[in-house]
Amino acid sequence: MSYLSLENVVKTFNKTEVVKKLSLEIHKGELVSFLGPSGCGKTTTLNMIAGFLEVDGGKIEVDGKPVHLLPPNKREMGMVFQNYALFPHMTVYENVAYGLKLRKVAKSEIKIRVQEALEMVRLSGYEKRYPKELSGGQQQRVSLARALVIKPKVLLLDEPLSNLDAKLRQEMREEIVDIQKKVGITTIFVTHDQEEALAISDRIAVMYEGRIEQVDTPAAIYNYPKTDFVSQFIGEVNHIQGKVLEAYSDKRCKMHFFGNEQIVAIQSVKDSEVHFFIRPEKVQISLGKSNESKEAFLSKVERKMFLGAKTRYILRANDQHLVADISNTVLNPNQIQEGNNVYTFWNPEDLLPSRMVR
Amino acid sequence: MQVGIGTENDLLLKQKKKNLKRKRIDTWLLLLPTLAIFIFFFLLPLFFLFITSFKTFDPSSGIGNEWTLQNYIKFMSDPFYLGVVWRTVKIALITTLITIFISYPVAFQISKSRGRARNYFTLLVLSPLLISMVIRCYGWVILLSNNGVVNNTLLSLGWIDEPLTLLYTELSVVIGMVHVLFPYMVLSIMGSLEKIDPSVIRASQNLGASSFRTFFSIMLPLTLPGVFAGSVMVFSLSVSSFVTPAILGGPQVKVMSYLTYEQVAVMLNWPYGGAIGFLLILIASITIIAYSKILARSEKGVAIQ
Repeated sequence: MSYLSLENVVKTFNKTEVVKKLSLEIHKGELVSFLGPSGCGKTTTLNMIAGFLEVDGGKIEVDGKPVHLLPPNKREMGMVFQNYALFPHMTVYENVAYGLKLRKVAKSEIKIRVQEALEMVRLSGYEKRYPKELSGGQQQRVSLARALVIKPKVLLLDEPLSNLDAKLRQEMREEIVDIQKKVGITTIFVTHDQEEALAISDRIAVMYEGRIEQVDTPAAIYNYPKTDFVSQFIGEVNHIQGKVLEAYSDKRCKMHFFGNEQIVAIQSVKDSEVHFFIRPEKVQISLGKSNESKEAFLSKVERKMFLGAKTRYILRANDQHLVADISNTVLNPNQIQEGNNVYTFWNPEDLLPSRMVR
Repeated sequence: MQVGIGTENDLLLKQKKKNLKRKRIDTWLLLLPTLAIFIFFFLLPLFFLFITSFKTFDPSSGIGNEWTLQNYIKFMSDPFYLGVVWRTVKIALITTLITIFISYPVAFQISKSRGRARNYFTLLVLSPLLISMVIRCYGWVILLSNNGVVNNTLLSLGWIDEPLTLLYTELSVVIGMVHVLFPYMVLSIMGSLEKIDPSVIRASQNLGASSFRTFFSIMLPLTLPGVFAGSVMVFSLSVSSFVTPAILGGPQVKVMSYLTYEQVAVMLNWPYGGAIGFLLILIASITIIAYSKILARSEKGVAIQ
């Protein structure tokens, strides 16, 4: 049973549809990320859920009740903004207490609940400070406390970490997930950072040009991307093309690429060109031909880059480039020099066939 | 080796000093023209006027040679003059209050509009400043005089039996003053409205505040600095204004600047005119300081902002 549901939601700006019939079901207590490049409609969708933008079609329901016609102050959603959006003329305490005061909560109870909220974000003792006297991370935590103290039905996070530096960003995102799980609140997290989305989400909705391309768990999104956009946007890919030598009746084909023949589970017709993606870390290399690399082909190491835990090899075979990321514990990078020929292979199931018709 | 490093350090230090000196000279050079005008045409005359205000009046040469406090004592002990002071401050305060109330909605609307509409609105607001002060005032005379547009209309509608006295009253002075000064207030409030982060407004609504509540809890406190800056401008311009009260108030509504003009240009009593002028500056300064104190006490957070 879904808790928050979007049904065919449409948003149009100046006759261009920026959100196109978007539907999504989110379960209670789930953390779903909206991930996509800028301009994909993720923030617009969030603003429609929060009520800052009107929907031009479709409906939004929370807990079975339609909310898309309510003004933002009646929707009971907590929102954390990219630039924190704290009230600059109020202290930390007043900021957090603001929503409770509006709900006419008794003064003594406000005090207790604000204290609890500040404790949760580890900011006890900062009550009397003004936002300007806090660091970016602290401001974002106040913002989180302010959103959660009113016990909203849904927590909306609009790129909450993008103004923080790299180290703090990682800390904060873990903290946000901890708190989210502890409170058990249904959460939507908007981000353009795929690593962030992969790390914290229960499910990710990858968005592109106003549509959801795929909604799935982080592992499924990464390993089984359903569209070309998803496979290229999440992680890195090698883009390779090959020719179908023979098409079999059991949805398999004998393919020809890099001067090599391989049987792949895809449906196609003889002689057609087929495009594939393969992740750099799924490409394997070895110095000698071994049992597991019996379908290997030779390629030349053009460049070698040491990246700490792994080494990146730029390979060239049959006039096509191929990037391989090899863990340094699997293969000692000192064994391979630029200009060497190495055997290159992969598991056929790691090939992601392109769905795009070219 | 040691010596080499030493001289290198010396050179570096010298270069640093040179750069610093250069920077200072640049700063002064940029300020020089304005500073020169300010000193020679404002501070110096003001200083001479200040000295003059402590001299006796000599009917033949204007300024006598004796030192005296008589000018100030004469002003402070005369109920007529004190009445003029009160009227001046009262008109300025009323003008300021009215401009705040009529300017805020205008500023709000303009800061919300975008593109071409915004430019036209701004031009419309600034239009009173584009017309000569004298012409604008005579416009109001035509409207407000005993057989002016307003009275004639009311008479022909039968709403009144005899013309209302609108011209040469405090009311007409305030009307004229509000008309010319409200652009300053609008621009000032607009400036602080635009500084408000829109997501702060959204945050307030998101937490459950109605638009009404959001305005009074968030927007108004955050724009108080703009209201204050506008008030200071409007108040100091209206307390010292001359043309508007002279044309729309005439001798019936005498204000401080009119008194000063009378003493200096008509009676040729420069010392007394100087004293009145100085009291005007003093009164304006005291009012502004008191105003800022009250404001600072009521809104601590804004100052931090």
